[in-house]
Amino acid sequence: MSDQTQAIRPAVIIGGNRIPFARSNGAYSKASNQDMLTAALDGLIARFGLQGQRLGAVSAGAVLKHSKDFNLVRECVLGTSLSARTPAYDVQMACATGMEAIGSLANKIKLGQIDSGIGGGVDTTSDAPIAVSEGLRAVLMDLSRARTTGAKLKAVSRFRPRDLAPNAPGTGEPRTGLSMGDHQAITTKAWNVTRAAQDELALASHKNLAAAYERNFFDDLMTPFAGVSKDTNMRADSSLEKLATLKPAFGKNLGAEATMTAGNSTPLTDGASAVLLGSEEYAREHDLPMLANFVDFEAAAVDFVHGADGLLMAPAHAVARILKRNNLSLQDFDFYEIHEAFAGTVLATLAAWEDAEFCKNKLGLEAPLGAIDRSRLNVNGSSLAAGHPFAATGGRIVASLAKMLHEKGSGRGLISVCAAGGQGVVAILEAR
Amino acid sequence: MSDRERVVMDAAPSLGALYAKAAGSRLRALLPGGKAEGGTLPRAEHHLEALVADPARLVAYQRLMGDTVRDTLPSVFVHGMVFPVAMSVMVREDFPLPLLGMVHLSNQVDHLRPISGAATLSATAWAADLREHRAGTQLDVLVEVAEGGEPVWRGVSTYLARGIWPGPRPGAPAEARAPFDIPGRTASWKLAAGTGRAYAAVLGDYNPIHLSAASAKALGMKRAIAHGMYLAGRALAGSTPHDTGYQWGIEFATPVFLPSTVDVAFTDRGDQTVFSGWGARSGKPHFSGSITTMAQAPGSGR
Repeated sequence: MSDQTQAIRPAVIIGGNRIPFARSNGAYSKASNQDMLTAALDGLIARFGLQGQRLGAVSAGAVLKHSKDFNLVRECVLGTSLSARTPAYDVQMACATGMEAIGSLANKIKLGQIDSGIGGGVDTTSDAPIAVSEGLRAVLMDLSRARTTGAKLKAVSRFRPRDLAPNAPGTGEPRTGLSMGDHQAITTKAWNVTRAAQDELALASHKNLAAAYERNFFDDLMTPFAGVSKDTNMRADSSLEKLATLKPAFGKNLGAEATMTAGNSTPLTDGASAVLLGSEEYAREHDLPMLANFVDFEAAAVDFVHGADGLLMAPAHAVARILKRNNLSLQDFDFYEIHEAFAGTVLATLAAWEDAEFCKNKLGLEAPLGAIDRSRLNVNGSSLAAGHPFAATGGRIVASLAKMLHEKGSGRGLISVCAAGGQGVVAILEAR
Repeated sequence: MSDRERVVMDAAPSLGALYAKAAGSRLRALLPGGKAEGGTLPRAEHHLEALVADPARLVAYQRLMGDTVRDTLPSVFVHGMVFPVAMSVMVREDFPLPLLGMVHLSNQVDHLRPISGAATLSATAWAADLREHRAGTQLDVLVEVAEGGEPVWRGVSTYLARGIWPGPRPGAPAEARAPFDIPGRTASWKLAAGTGRAYAAVLGDYNPIHLSAASAKALGMKRAIAHGMYLAGRALAGSTPHDTGYQWGIEFATPVFLPSTVDVAFTDRGDQTVFSGWGARSGKPHFSGSITTMAQAPGSGR
């Protein structure tokens, strides 16, 4: 076995590109997933001169996808100036889609199976798939199977007017019927995360994102799309006073104890992102920058259905495992990118890592992972300000963090992304 | 063996016919010289052979409950299959209480081992333990389901006939109901107005109190209420083991008027899952129960 094991080589993040994220039913309401992901790829290809190249793979996905988009990413590739001989495939892992797509691609590079690849994701809730009702679908399927006029009439006779109501995708967990926000409200309360703390985190996200735009941080990470050049959800002029006026949007069953508002929760957003990865040899051969190494990634899932764990707490578990595997402590990082699905998710995760009981009972650790330096958290803003087009968030974070590490010239960054279904993916990047 | 007289049925009676018969007896009971209330339970058991699940109904049931479609029978589906046999006992001429308007209080079921969807089953049902309840008379209807003579499912359903007492009417109840503390929810069920009709369409239980506001009003309910067994089926879907036997029970507190949002709390404690449901708006308790995995399914080694 051992003599067959190949040496593992670094997977390098070369750069990234995304389109600005736009609030749902706004600037991108007529754009499809294919349009947006193609735009993100076009910008990346232009920035790094990839025209005509056959890459090892393009791996991306969308959470909300039309059934006609069964080969979404391949269709996007065919619409770009990449070589048509570039293979592509779709990945789906809810909000961790982008992280899984990029991480698996990095693994293939590390193993020497491919030398280059693009990972990313896209989502739209404005051009979301709407399905016919189960009743109408059953009638249509039986009709297509019917061979005789009698059988066809019998199938049609089962149609009821109420079957005309369409099925729109929801953000509810199928097994519990609770929305993601209502699930997070349970966790937010369990960890005693206050409204004030959530609003402060949301404000910091907007301020940090605005400051990053101010210093042109995104200039080489973004291509304008449909007349938009900045994330439309960003509110640089937000304030704690304004945020404090918002009424609870989730966990309303908690009455006066409800703390989660539209201000400290991410809005539905449209957008796309893409990240170029390669081996060191590939980057050198094509004279491309090397921003950071994609060191490792880890997925976790929690037992949320009967409430043993919080729906969005899987990254807390994944971080404990990835730290152990890489022989690192939680404090060994210069940047922490914790996806802000809700401010409560970030704050509950931080609280859990500091909690001796949680770390012992849930993570099996002798000592808590401890606190982080909050000044290193989401320093260029995160999803509360930028928005969160589900599958596009991983690519946004990986590209931004790689650039931050490269700017600093040393150190490590930790990424944590939670996802529906009680899942999460975390990753470690290292500066080059 | 029991001292009950066994009545062997040729085929499962239709629930519609049973409800029609029950409506007739309810009417007769209201007339002068109607049948005596209280009294004693019939010393008989009704027995039906060769019960086989309809595969299309099984799939429809599993879809309705949001459960995985498997070739084994969910416990509440078995209850639905044998319910006509149980009900035939309750509409006997010598059954002392009117079926219609009777309140479903609780169920206790031993689901002794996984039951194949293709199994040929027999069911034996009888009534027992007529007793006083502060609001009337309660009794148990027991059903034993067997495959090839081996018991695979045993259920006890407890019902209450309000305002009818087996003896003299008791004094005011001393016990006060404990106040209900709303637990932390782990699920929320949005039940549409047609929930009762959807359940009836799958398992055939067309009791008018479940079908529409109008039919429920005729029986003294302010609106249609969800079938207790629908609520049990939802609680069990996805929460019961499918590779071994289990016991489960449910107690009903207040009816779920349709449409409604029911908040539910599930808690896993080792081999047991406890659950309770309450009105998301009213905060009133609707039901509570538990599911316990059997360590080793009796008879599984045969």
